Amino acid sequence: MISATVAQQLIDKLGKENVIAEKEDLLVLGYDSTPGLHAMPDVVVYPTDSEQVQAVVEIARDNKIPFTPRGSGTGLSGGSIPVNGGIVICLNKLNKILEIDEENLTATCQAGVVTLDLFNAVAEKGLFYPPDPGSQKISTLGGNVMEDAGGLRGLKYGVTRDYVMGLKCVLPDGTLLDTGGKSVKDVAGYAFKDLLIGSEGTLAIITELTVKLIPPPQDKRTFLAYFKNIRTAGEAVSKIIAAKIIPSTMEIMDKATINCVEDYVKIGLPREMAALLLIEVDGHPAVVAEEAAEVEKVLKAVGADDVQMAKDAEHAGELAAARRTALSALARVSPTTLLEDATVPRSMLANTFDLIEKLAEKYKLTVGTFGHAGDGNLHPTVLCDERNEDEMKRAHAFYDELYEQVLEWGGTVSGEHGIGIAKKGYLAKQIGPGGVAVMKRIKRSFDPDGLLNPGKIFADDQE
Amino acid sequence: MADKEKLGNFTKQDAPTYESVLQCMRCGFCLPTCPTFALTGRERSSPRGRVALARAVAEEKLDFNKAMKEEAFFCLDCRACTTACPSGVKAGEVMEVCRSQVHQQIDQPKWQKLFRSFVLEKMVPNPDLMETSMLPARLYQKLGVQWLVRNSHILKMAPKWIEKAEGMMPELHQPLRQRVPELTPARGEKRGKVAFFLGCVMTLMYAEVSRQTVRVLSHQGFDVITPKDQKCCGAPHLTEGDRETTRQMATHNLDLFLDLDVDAIVTDCAGCGSALKEYEELLAERQDHAKLEKFHSLIKDVSEFLVEQGIRTDELKTINKSVTYHEPCHLCHAQGISKQPRDLIKAIPGIDFREMNEASWCCGSAATFSLKFTEESQKILDRKLDNVKDTEADILVTANPGCHLQLAWGLREAGMPQPVMHLIELLGEATPE
Repeated sequence: MISATVAQQLIDKLGKENVIAEKEDLLVLGYDSTPGLHAMPDVVVYPTDSEQVQAVVEIARDNKIPFTPRGSGTGLSGGSIPVNGGIVICLNKLNKILEIDEENLTATCQAGVVTLDLFNAVAEKGLFYPPDPGSQKISTLGGNVMEDAGGLRGLKYGVTRDYVMGLKCVLPDGTLLDTGGKSVKDVAGYAFKDLLIGSEGTLAIITELTVKLIPPPQDKRTFLAYFKNIRTAGEAVSKIIAAKIIPSTMEIMDKATINCVEDYVKIGLPREMAALLLIEVDGHPAVVAEEAAEVEKVLKAVGADDVQMAKDAEHAGELAAARRTALSALARVSPTTLLEDATVPRSMLANTFDLIEKLAEKYKLTVGTFGHAGDGNLHPTVLCDERNEDEMKRAHAFYDELYEQVLEWGGTVSGEHGIGIAKKGYLAKQIGPGGVAVMKRIKRSFDPDGLLNPGKIFADDQE
Repeated sequence: MADKEKLGNFTKQDAPTYESVLQCMRCGFCLPTCPTFALTGRERSSPRGRVALARAVAEEKLDFNKAMKEEAFFCLDCRACTTACPSGVKAGEVMEVCRSQVHQQIDQPKWQKLFRSFVLEKMVPNPDLMETSMLPARLYQKLGVQWLVRNSHILKMAPKWIEKAEGMMPELHQPLRQRVPELTPARGEKRGKVAFFLGCVMTLMYAEVSRQTVRVLSHQGFDVITPKDQKCCGAPHLTEGDRETTRQMATHNLDLFLDLDVDAIVTDCAGCGSALKEYEELLAERQDHAKLEKFHSLIKDVSEFLVEQGIRTDELKTINKSVTYHEPCHLCHAQGISKQPRDLIKAIPGIDFREMNEASWCCGSAATFSLKFTEESQKILDRKLDNVKDTEADILVTANPGCHLQLAWGLREAGMPQPVMHLIELLGEATPE
């Protein structure tokens, strides 16, 4: 519980309208998109500038109250869930795009700006901000940076990390840290910026960021390739890359996902196919034409059962939008959707599909798999019911066994969602006790009292 | 949605089912589509937040309290979140059912209860009473009292909603139900026989528009049967949380219309269409399933019906005007009818159709929302008016009386030149006498 004095201090600094402690609000600000996770904050604040964030952090620091940053709550590993209660700092009111610098090709904005809003604002000036996580319509850039969000264009354009140039943040002790900026090169001291990206809100709270922009591709072409065997789809991915083509997008959906997505979007996806690949090549028109022809050739050679090209840009957009709904659409089938983020070297993709199929059968589970095939990043999703204890046990056993093999293949337990609350054990397996110990020391050097977003990434010493 | 077992802190009667709230996986896709979330930035006033609150009530983490009442009625029930939800969650419907919980669980002043039950249970179900009640309003206009009131600005002293309600009143005519023949025969080559469902607001406030609907349908080659003893569809009761009275009227309408043996039951009111299509679920436990399914399959919005049948354009007159279209929530989100109205507008020769931004964003009317939350409603309306302005269209077309009232009032207050026309009014203008 927050004392009346602390509540008053918060109100003094932020104004009454930006401090919320009604139960009905607290109930809905302690979750994100991760199933089964929910906690109650004691108070929620909506700072409107960096100084107010700093003021809140100082109050929390002085009173030893845990505090957790939050954007739109679309995370998939529990990063913004206040596991120990305390203060939730909602950054949604920091929502101004401050500058689009056409000479330096950068954009500077506050942390609460919605990803798609930035995309649209720079597009109006003929520029391109590529990272496009599934939740881009509502996810915030601060959250994207903290989770190092990926998206559909990762294969060719990279992920959020590849675009962050500078960060302004508040450290847990209340100091402001400015790291990076518009300079293309910067080797002054430790690369704090790179450490903070993907730190899941455990080292600092971002208030402002500067990102790199690029000129948009002049042309693109979108394909759908259908497969009666998902293994063939996996092979197609490796073969396209081996043909020295880097598509901007190479996404996969399995049969279960195709059917759920089709139930929602109704655009005529083939329900009987075992898998589909959504492939997009972009760039200079001449290159696009050449690559498109080559992709088609490879697809036919590996034995795709059908290859179709999008009619026009609108149709292509429809297909990408359909893919973005995959996770939520899978949730149509069952009350609970347990989603994972296993990532393997691309060459192991076909084997991974085999493994998922085998394990789903072994543990008697319904699994829908989709993901960024071109990145080797899959989201095998167990469709289950959290009220069924036995099923939940089997689901966890499924993931345990899957990850064991993924790690053996040189993969990772999280490609783009983060470790957060649910995957602490898996991380320890991946990086070993030495790795966890160093991470903890880094965390302590930023946050000696362990107040900022506690309970994430690795187990607390007390646990 | 009636559940046999009592669910958490809901009462047994008319409560959301546990499945309907568990279905939400909290992805947040609904957030950018919700007008009240856009307005407040408050999670509890978003579809995801509202469903989470309902879940908390179901799981006994929260009483069905004042905040639940606030959210149940602050929700516009515009269903934009239903369209946006890949998981199939119906947050609007969950809130609609919660409105019924409000009346079961939260005490209200006695006069409010009496007034509510008089309006919902006595007045609205009785078309004669409804029509009589409109007489003073028609006299008010005819005798020039309205002119006097508006020019003296006397209502500036009254509560805001009274001023707005008075300002929204369109020019009234004799209710259509009293003067439309039971059978209006098809003209030209006959294509079928339809029943016309008269919406209360349409027949009372937009009688001339609905007269056009009958005329257009007949010109398009359909016999139009308009049964006089039809009753209100029950939409006002659903939005006020009185599901039981809706069921009674639904049963009456169901039998009345099924007995007619028609090819379709056509309505020109998006709100009615949406409610009529909900009978199947509302009466699921009381009526034969095949009968309900049959009824559902017959219900057609007039644009849905005409596009399905193929519109005969050879005799249509040219209208050289630019037109933009506002999608009624209960047409595009509740019934998924989005393309047909546009097809119909574009089928009229001479029309220059201009798509507006955010055409499917609510106008802020939302049944009585526009009077209960005048300030919030105004903000939602302003956003719509800005989008209308950008099109520079000559005419704003819509297809629902609630939107019509709100938009016409808003355009007039904002000093914008566009008239608001019901889709069928436009088509009526192109249809020769």
